[in-house]
Amino acid sequence: MSARYVLRRIVSAGVTIFLIVILNFVLFRMMPGSPERILLGRIPNVTPAAVQGTRERWGLDKPLFPDQFVSYMTSTFQGDLGFSFSMRGQTVVEVLESRLWPTLLLFGLGEIIAIVVGLLLGAYSGWKRGGILDFLGNGASLILYATPYFLLGMLLLIMFATTLHWFPTFGMNTPGRDYADIFEELGDIGRHLVLPLATVSLGLVGQYAILMRSSILDTMTEDYVTTARAKGLTEGRILRSHALPNALLPTVSLVAINLGYVVAGAITVEVVFNWPGLGTLTVDALAARDYPVLQGVFLLLSVTVVFANLAADLLYSFLDPRVRT
Amino acid sequence: MRNRLGVRLARIIALGALLGAGLIPAGVAQAAGPLILNAGTTQKLETLNPWQSITYADYEVFQVQYELLVSFGPNLEEVPGYADTWSASADKKTHTFHVRDGMKWSDGEPATCDDALYTFQLVLDAVEKLGYLGSGYLDPYLTNTGLESVKCEGSNFIATTKFPTTLLTQAYIPILPKHVWSKYTIDQINDTTVEGYFDNAPPVVGSGPYVAVEWKPNNFIRMQRNPNYWGKAGVPDEIIYHQFADEATMVQALKSGELDYARGVGADLYDSLATEPNIARSEGYANGYSYLSFNTRATHAGYKGSTSALEDPKFRDALMWALNKQELVDKVLNGHGVPGTTIVPPYHVNWHVEPATPRTFDIVEANKRLTDAGYPLVDGKRMDKDGKAITLRLTWSSDGYPKDAQFIQGWWEQLGITVDAFSTEEDTLIDLLYGPETGDTYDADWDTYIWSWGGDPDPMSLLSLFTTDQIEAGVDDCFFSNARYDELFTLQQQATDETARKGYISEMQQLFYDQGCNTPLYYDSELHAYRTDKFTGWTNQPPGTGTPLFGFGYPGYLALTDATLVPTPGPTTVPATAAPGTTAGPTATAPPTTDNTGSSSTPLLIGGAVVLVVVVAGVFLMMRRRGPKAEEE
Repeated sequence: MSARYVLRRIVSAGVTIFLIVILNFVLFRMMPGSPERILLGRIPNVTPAAVQGTRERWGLDKPLFPDQFVSYMTSTFQGDLGFSFSMRGQTVVEVLESRLWPTLLLFGLGEIIAIVVGLLLGAYSGWKRGGILDFLGNGASLILYATPYFLLGMLLLIMFATTLHWFPTFGMNTPGRDYADIFEELGDIGRHLVLPLATVSLGLVGQYAILMRSSILDTMTEDYVTTARAKGLTEGRILRSHALPNALLPTVSLVAINLGYVVAGAITVEVVFNWPGLGTLTVDALAARDYPVLQGVFLLLSVTVVFANLAADLLYSFLDPRVRT
Repeated sequence: MRNRLGVRLARIIALGALLGAGLIPAGVAQAAGPLILNAGTTQKLETLNPWQSITYADYEVFQVQYELLVSFGPNLEEVPGYADTWSASADKKTHTFHVRDGMKWSDGEPATCDDALYTFQLVLDAVEKLGYLGSGYLDPYLTNTGLESVKCEGSNFIATTKFPTTLLTQAYIPILPKHVWSKYTIDQINDTTVEGYFDNAPPVVGSGPYVAVEWKPNNFIRMQRNPNYWGKAGVPDEIIYHQFADEATMVQALKSGELDYARGVGADLYDSLATEPNIARSEGYANGYSYLSFNTRATHAGYKGSTSALEDPKFRDALMWALNKQELVDKVLNGHGVPGTTIVPPYHVNWHVEPATPRTFDIVEANKRLTDAGYPLVDGKRMDKDGKAITLRLTWSSDGYPKDAQFIQGWWEQLGITVDAFSTEEDTLIDLLYGPETGDTYDADWDTYIWSWGGDPDPMSLLSLFTTDQIEAGVDDCFFSNARYDELFTLQQQATDETARKGYISEMQQLFYDQGCNTPLYYDSELHAYRTDKFTGWTNQPPGTGTPLFGFGYPGYLALTDATLVPTPGPTTVPATAAPGTTAGPTATAPPTTDNTGSSSTPLLIGGAVVLVVVVAGVFLMMRRRGPKAEEE
């Protein structure tokens, strides 16, 4: 992998992020309604003087360009995303920080489980096409792939939480519980995690399995697999050393793309299980018209997608020398 | 290889199952800990600084922690709060509140008159400096009473008002501990964006029965019993308020027993809880209403209404004859509400009056009134006085009311009026509504719209929305301006005799009804649900028209008892009484009979099992049919 290729990918990612930051500025200023009114809400007794005061305090009385734009760019690159309108007294960065970890935990684990199970299942069903596992696995994959998160989540919730009482219905832990030790606390989080995690993993596993299955099927007809067979290698060796590495390539892009959907998926799963992550935050911020927070979520999300794609590009070129151009 | 991969897969699945199984038993285990009241709401738990309060949830959180000078009892009557006795001078301009002796804050510091003085002075100073404090929702309770000055004489807190008033005992002003709050400037209390803003993070120092000890913004607030609370201790050791993004999840949590109380349940879900064991429902009158508003200054200079007809009370009156409010209640609210008439809702049993000559739904009458008022029907089109066919825009905030709009569109089209119905994003709508009096950039570019208002224990705040001075503030958004109404407002504000005040308030309601600036479509019910197997003693506040929690003050919490200690728990809900002037009012629903044998989720489980069997059978059938083919390959 040449240094030039790496540099080019990094520069291109940097430019994309810069453009996103600008877009973020423009987009949120095109939103309907005057910001000072959103800030003040429907306060009784608000006088025009109070409105003017708010405009001045938030710098809304200054021209959009250059004043507002310059101060926006400077503070954004200093990591200052302003204050949340609705969560009174908290900065956007604080709000995002507190909500990022629950989402990372849920979707990080969910992705890992889905990747491992999905790829194994896909590889096996592809390799043993027509076997029991292929029929069961492929059928289940298609059903799961087609089921929306909220439906799957609600079904799991009603069955395992409300009816069987095996797991808690909502939240990430039990508020106010005194834990004897760290393991008890982890256990509590774990119990809260089971259902949302199952929803995420089940929702994702289908697409990985389907992709991996067709990818394996493709490689099975390749000449190098025939050659390997002709050389008398065992089936296991052919799968491990020849078919799998080649079949894995398309899944790398799928993982990168999926990272971009973390928040989109998070919204529905987190809302169903009231998981205190970025998804519920986005819904709350939308309902409250908390534009600074939405802007923050948007920025975080787009930067994640850019980095995930950068990582995929670099990994891809490492795995497949053909793309290093 | 086939086996090895299969074995590995099987191992992973087994490991997962093992982990899952390890978690399951612990999931059901309930540690014998404090007795917790878990209450759910879909409103946000976003502030512990009372001055920033906006929603019912915000109000609930502060009123449990901080005493008001005079609090609210189970019937919304005045009961001792921070003060144990109170009195007013003969001219009702000097008000004396005796602060209870020996009272302490939750941190052990003495709670004295000084704290009340600090709090009231803070509001007075903020209003003088800024015009409002925080979200601006609490200071009007003092400004509306004409409060001039406050002082302490020993344990007596003395407030002087500019004009006679009886409303100081209703002031929704939480008394704050001076030793905590005086460390912060007005700006640090008022403005959430300044350096050192005081968010009042836990542990909160309060004087109410419970104080916050833990807070995850927009997630939950946990409160513990205040050991220094002056009154009878509440039975729950802790109260946890949980915020829900989705009311369906909230209802599931109530069913599973993780919640004891759910506030703000949607009509469909509310109905679905009717047969649920150990769950009782409470349908309370809303202290507010949803309304249809008219741009009554449509063609005034600087206004952008589409027709001068909107300015004519007779035209608006005719349109209101073509509103079937009962149908809206039945079809839009699933019956959970009461058709609207006057701007003081029936929740205010003592103040609400029905109009002397109510309008009914009568399309023929509406058509006749339009023609009589000089709006002829030409080729099926209703013409205004400028000879233009009338087309009205009807809009609503994007959150709600599309169904209402559809009905109204249908009715008004029978009058020959074309209705252009569309939703508008909330912030755009707020901008649209304001008239030029609110600011140079506003032009009231609308004809009719639907929204809602909510009120206080006293009807004054709902009445205050339509005084002339509220046009400039952007609150009176149908531009109602009536000298008699303004006069009556001042009279009721300063009235010291309840009967006289009732007279003024009745006249205001009738006057507003006749003028038809806006028309309440319905008083939509507050739908709450709660479990009866953990706590009993749920008491609606007020008994006929309210709900157990999320009312005024905190009597609902102190009335609760531990259900496990009561030998034969029975229905405790107070039977409903219809408010005057209404026949089909919301009623408190008594808990269903104790039928614990069946659960509504059982059919679902059976259904799930059936689906599973069908899927498995289908797959095997497919395999059998495809089997030979696979072999041929």
